[in-house]
Amino acid sequence: MPTRRELIRELTAAVGAANVLWRPEDLLVYEFDGTIERQAPHAVVFPAGAEETAAVIRACNRLGIPITPRGAGTGLSGGAIPTRRGVIIATARMRRILEIDPVNRLAVVEPGLPNLQLSEAAAAHGLFYAPDPSSQRACTIGGNVAENAGGPHCLALGVTQNHVIGLEVVTAAGEVTWLGNRVPDAFGYDLRGAFVGSEGTLGIATKVVVRLLPLPASVVTLLGIFDTVEQASHTVSAIIAAGMIPAAMEMMDRLTIEAAEAGLQCGYPPDAGAVLLVELDGLPGPVETQAARARAECFENGAREVRVAQDAHERELLWKGRKGAIGALGRIAPNYYILDGVVPRSKLVEVMARVSAIAESYGLPCANVFHAGDGNLHPLILFDERQPGMPAKVLAAGAEIMRACVDAGGSLSGEHGIGFEKRDFMPWLYSETDIAHMEQLRGVFGNSGDFNPCKLLPTGTGCGEMAHQEAALRAAGPDAYV
Amino acid sequence: MASDSPWPRPADAPAAEDLSRCVHCGLCVNSCPTYAITGLEAESPRGRIHLMKAVAEGRIPLTATVQSHWELCLQCRACEAVCPSGVPYGRLMEKTRAQLDAAPPSGAQSRQMRRFLLRNVVARPRVLAAILAPVRWLANSAVRTAAVRSGILHLIPPLARGERMLPNRVGAPLRRGGDVPQPAAPRGEAILFTGCVMGELFGDVHRATARVLARAGIRTENAPLQVCCGALSAHDGDLEFARRLARQNIDALEGSEAPIVVNSAGCGAAMKEYGELLDGDRAYAERARAFSARVRDATEYVAGLGVETPAAFTGRVAYQDPCHLAHAQRIREQPRQLLRSTGCELVETNGADMCCGAAGIYSLVQPTMSAALRERKADQFRAARPDVVVTANPGCQLQYQAAVREAGIEARVMHVMELLDEAQARAETERQD
Ligand SMILES: Cc1cc2nc3c(=O)[nH]c(=O)nc-3n(C[C@H](O)[C@H](O)[C@H](O)COP(=O)(O)OP(=O)(O)OC[C@H]3O[C@@H](n4cnc5c(N)ncnc54)[C@H](O)[C@@H]3O)c2cc1C
Ligand code: SF4
Ligand code: SF4
Repeated sequence: MPTRRELIRELTAAVGAANVLWRPEDLLVYEFDGTIERQAPHAVVFPAGAEETAAVIRACNRLGIPITPRGAGTGLSGGAIPTRRGVIIATARMRRILEIDPVNRLAVVEPGLPNLQLSEAAAAHGLFYAPDPSSQRACTIGGNVAENAGGPHCLALGVTQNHVIGLEVVTAAGEVTWLGNRVPDAFGYDLRGAFVGSEGTLGIATKVVVRLLPLPASVVTLLGIFDTVEQASHTVSAIIAAGMIPAAMEMMDRLTIEAAEAGLQCGYPPDAGAVLLVELDGLPGPVETQAARARAECFENGAREVRVAQDAHERELLWKGRKGAIGALGRIAPNYYILDGVVPRSKLVEVMARVSAIAESYGLPCANVFHAGDGNLHPLILFDERQPGMPAKVLAAGAEIMRACVDAGGSLSGEHGIGFEKRDFMPWLYSETDIAHMEQLRGVFGNSGDFNPCKLLPTGTGCGEMAHQEAALRAAGPDAYV
Repeated sequence: MASDSPWPRPADAPAAEDLSRCVHCGLCVNSCPTYAITGLEAESPRGRIHLMKAVAEGRIPLTATVQSHWELCLQCRACEAVCPSGVPYGRLMEKTRAQLDAAPPSGAQSRQMRRFLLRNVVARPRVLAAILAPVRWLANSAVRTAAVRSGILHLIPPLARGERMLPNRVGAPLRRGGDVPQPAAPRGEAILFTGCVMGELFGDVHRATARVLARAGIRTENAPLQVCCGALSAHDGDLEFARRLARQNIDALEGSEAPIVVNSAGCGAAMKEYGELLDGDRAYAERARAFSARVRDATEYVAGLGVETPAAFTGRVAYQDPCHLAHAQRIREQPRQLLRSTGCELVETNGADMCCGAAGIYSLVQPTMSAALRERKADQFRAARPDVVVTANPGCQLQYQAAVREAGIEARVMHVMELLDEAQARAETERQD
């Protein structure tokens, strides 16, 4: 192991002194992401481009120092937490849009670019970038690639995997290479596909070629207001059974509605049991017909009211509530633990009841946000991490909820990834052989265990040191950042 | 107060409930100007709040590094306006700054000096007038015009920089108690808040405001005992002095129901928060809330009057939101509505609501970051080619004058009230013709 001084010297040689952080106070703000885990790195570096990134990776490999890539730190599975400390490679100096090609409808961007800024820039050409995580104001394209992020508008259009054509990557071994390129559907092994969703365990994307889509000619957004989550869930099934594929179909329960309305004044009725946000887009004629049909299905299934956004402003307001809903829960409790389960749509109501029962048995309040169209549920357990023993309790409740999803024939992650938190649950769904194969794929990219350690797979050493409870309660002493 | 508090001034420490509201979702970071420039988490709202929490929890001491991250904050409150969780960032930062004068010095700059100037120069009308007199002279002088024309400034960069920071032509001051234009047949009354620097360097804006009010039939009272609003002191963490000024203003302006009209966004925002500032003051809390309820930004007030005074203005107008209007007072639509009513072509530049870097005394104490933000505005102006850049706050107006010069374009810089006044006057003459 090198001394800190040696490490800093090597990093400085790679990117210059101005782009290396090493003071404890400066490192402390990189100890978190969107989860409740905490661990500060030994250093943070900001390379500009593939060459500098490669130099940093090679230096760390030479010194045997663990590396963790980081985008905006909004991840919800602990992916950007430096579990074994070491070096964080942050993409904040790679934030440019390098090219927008309206003819071929693609863009070449750097990985640190915030998601929303891409769609804003593309709008000038009548185009947009489809994956729109609720965190899109903040999260980066690189982070989206790593987590294979989804968003409300991925129901009809597919998640990040469907919109990334090529990647310039620096592998865990420190080699610069391209996976895929500017032409979609390249032949040969789809290594681009393997990289998207690899949660920062194979290397760092330094350029991303994405597909852009033309903005729809016409959009109708409606808000169904219900007394119960059951009614809203049945509406979702009915809309899909009717053969429609709305652009988005999002559901929120009472507690979430309350928080969103209090925080964002988006016009949700605070006494509703559930709201369902349905968006239809396409050519004006068919969209109108579909909207009428969706509206009818809402009433058929017990909606007490259906509001249709009359203009862009009203539409924006309805979405503002949904996109800010998770953050708005901060008004109700200081912390939330957000889960990301997927269940068959037909089981939604049943699993929901199970989730409520589990949360109740722990005495914890639970709010719910759903990408209802995909059967992707996000129970949010609300708590205060300052209460002794609380984080452990919350994590235990979370594990039970995940188990319930899997038991219902579902899966462990819709879009937030496995990361640090759920890796121990992988054997619920994968055999030892499956996991061994995944481990081999890592080796192909040169990751022998030090590149974003303790993430995704339940393997690796030295991960136990950051016990869950301890991680959340690191507030304890100054050794946390030394 | 418990002496085991990690904060040097526990009575004015950031509140634990306010801090715990931040769920580090990150939705604010890209609205933050200092993050946009540096890309550093510690120069983002989420990072700054995390450092406040860490100090509050006793995890780290108040080191010079920590302080420097807080000092670089513009207090523009863009983060607060987009935060879904309702984190009262402005309040958190004022309370954090309140800790710093008692903390070991950060070495960055002399906080004592700053505080002395804010207390003894800015807030003292006569001293301020004396200090600003040479600035006015220099700004308007033939020497300056000659120096600029001759190109000699390019040979001496520090002088060129200084010249760029000087205001454009400065009109006659309009101090508290001074005469203002009045309507022939009044139908209502408002109190005009004259402020400190505003009254010295932007008398023209005050007169324009009064003329706009007069055309709408509003009589303007210029109360003689009003004082500086205290915003600069509050932002600097000198809450004690800010409270003193707030009490003086309450004494001077209460006893009437008339709205208090403010044409400086920073002052208006601060005065709308007197209720909060004096919350712990038994004698004043109630009165402060009543006072704050009467405060209106000039654009808010005029748009709300619903009087349609004819106005005519041609040209491309780029409106730039003052932070303390858009983010602190959440007023975005009214100034645009007033501008549109003149028939001008309102152009929206990118980042119109991102801080210009003026931020009170920020441009003086953090010149590098301030200049970086000004340059971003200059780039926008170069691309958008407006005929007029319009804003609604004195500090921003000065900064935009510099940005326009930097952009190398020919554009006037005006306050919304000035443009409105000119447009209304033009419509009047056109009608007479
Ligand atoms: C309020 C809120 C709402 C959210 N809503 C959604 C949602 O609707 N849908 C959704 O899918 N997610 C959502 N998320 C989760 C999160 O925003 C996404 O996972 C996002 O993709 C993370 O991006 P980031 O830039 O913050 O990455 P980080 O959190 O910084 O990192 C995430 C992972 O990506 C890796 N990584 C980062 N950059 C690179 C790179 N250039 N190359 C390789 N690996 C890299 C990191 O190592 C880490 O493992 C939400 C989060 C929050 C806080
Ligand atoms: S201040 Fe608000 S928006 Fe920013 S990270 Fe905290 S909770 Fe999120
Ligand atoms: S007040 Fe402005 S500069 Fe300060 S953290 Fe918030 S957005 Fe950034």
